[in-house]
Amino acid sequence: MNTLHLYIRSMGMLLKSQLQYTSSFIMQTLAQLVMEGGEMLAVILVIDRFETLKQWIGGNLFFFFGLMSVSFYITEFFGRGVTGNFPSMVRSGQLDTLLLRPRGVLTQVLCSGMDPRRISCIAVGVVALVMGSSMSDVSWSVLKVLALLESVAMSCMLILGLFMIEDIFCIHSVKSVELVNALTYGGRSACQYPIDIYPRPLKILFSVVAPFALTMHVPASYILGKPLYGWPVWTAFVTPLSGALVLAVMIMLFYRGMRFYRSTGS
Amino acid sequence: MSYIEVNNLRKTFTVRKKREKGKLFREKEIVEALKGISFVVEKGELVGYIGPNGAGKSTTVKILSGILTPESGEAAVGGRVPWKDRKEYVKHIGVVFGQRSQLWWDVPIVDSYSLLKDIYLIPEKEYKERLDELSEALQLEKLMRTPLRLLSLGQRMRAELCGSLLHRPELLFLDEPTIGLDAVSKLALRDFLKWENKEHGTTIMLTTHDMEDIAALCSRVMVLGHGRKLFDGKLPELLEKYDTVRTVAVRFSSEDITLSLPDGASMEKKDGEIKITYSPSDIPTADMLTLLQNAGNISEMTLESQNLDHMIAAMYKEMDL
Repeated sequence: MNTLHLYIRSMGMLLKSQLQYTSSFIMQTLAQLVMEGGEMLAVILVIDRFETLKQWIGGNLFFFFGLMSVSFYITEFFGRGVTGNFPSMVRSGQLDTLLLRPRGVLTQVLCSGMDPRRISCIAVGVVALVMGSSMSDVSWSVLKVLALLESVAMSCMLILGLFMIEDIFCIHSVKSVELVNALTYGGRSACQYPIDIYPRPLKILFSVVAPFALTMHVPASYILGKPLYGWPVWTAFVTPLSGALVLAVMIMLFYRGMRFYRSTGS
Repeated sequence: MSYIEVNNLRKTFTVRKKREKGKLFREKEIVEALKGISFVVEKGELVGYIGPNGAGKSTTVKILSGILTPESGEAAVGGRVPWKDRKEYVKHIGVVFGQRSQLWWDVPIVDSYSLLKDIYLIPEKEYKERLDELSEALQLEKLMRTPLRLLSLGQRMRAELCGSLLHRPELLFLDEPTIGLDAVSKLALRDFLKWENKEHGTTIMLTTHDMEDIAALCSRVMVLGHGRKLFDGKLPELLEKYDTVRTVAVRFSSEDITLSLPDGASMEKKDGEIKITYSPSDIPTADMLTLLQNAGNISEMTLESQNLDHMIAAMYKEMDL
């Protein structure tokens, strides 16, 4: 409870900091809108050109795209400390100051960053989700709403977990490892589209290593009424839990890594 | 049992060098930052911790504040081991890094303090009392609503101190607190540290390169070099050995004087002023004065002991640091 209170207060503070530079904030938010709008335009172009991608019609693709945008940018919005700031915190020695406070390191890292500019990206994602579901004639039920909420929550955990890989490397090498971006940003680009359009190696990568397919595509295909691989309904609720599993493993590795933290000079 | 007990503390770092041409792997070098340090500090002491850059001062502070884990050796502060149960331990200490901020850059400092209150779970009433007390002692009242980034360096250091003392730590580490401060800010800072030490019995350990800090504040000084403790005691005791040189500057009313100095003294003439450097152990000061008086009519004279920094430099040199 205290932790949540601290997190909310920290977020308030960070928002206040960001709003110190109002015009810059507005410009950057608009820039993000243009960027994410462009991504969506790419999907529109694909749909315009091919009408269907395997079994998926245009509306379905919007839904997949929207699910990814919403999950990814919610994570970046609230978890900027983990997804972006951590490497520079290690380099600048700011991590030391976190270690001097009687709170969990990860809690404080999470409390140290937010990226409210992502609000425009989230908005694009929501629009895509709404468009996608109406174009796909989804008949919403309580179960489907629950599946969507779980999918977004678990996807956020997965994305957070994947970003933590970079942080874990960072504890040791003090440098950021760009290779990990292949999983995070690469995963975002690839898994905007349903997994079954990809060749086998990518299927394995995004189902086992970075299981976007399990947290997003399985529940989304259930919601859209075209279950992937013809899997039964319960899989739409069970497979997304892999997101929580990835995060749990990463948190464990993070704390194991912190034991070998060596700080930087003063 | 003493408040801080450190016994044979060791810490090594592995430094990976840049890969040399023609070699497949980068070479590793093991640097021993601390080679077995031991000392005790009593509660309420004000200890200075000096040594050249890279001597291991910051490493010691980092180990004692729980950031780093040593390779071997023991340490206990108030009966607690710093690197075990970090969250519980750090409630009782405060740390100020001269070059690293702990407050939030873009918000008024009072907001930072309020967040620290939540981080340390300080009860509202206690927090108010302490904040009032500290802001008065550090003259921060007028700056409370100013964002940290708009403060001058001296103001910022005061704000940092306030932030790290809000939770009433028993032990305060200061890592080069006066770095880059002007004379007035330095003096104010020293006064404050004395006040905090006396008023609340806070044990203070500070690392610094500014010898004036040590002279003004610390009853005890430890010298560190190459990861070893080289001296532990009072500053005057340390200096006695190295405080061997005196400089006397004299002006005579007439230009033409004959002055023959004994061996071991050197003379320098500049703009009519004569500077003589000698060591009192070779030539007693009384003899030197007689010599000068016999040479001519003295119009002005000052006798100086050596600059503290020069002494420390001489000491580092002798200890081969």
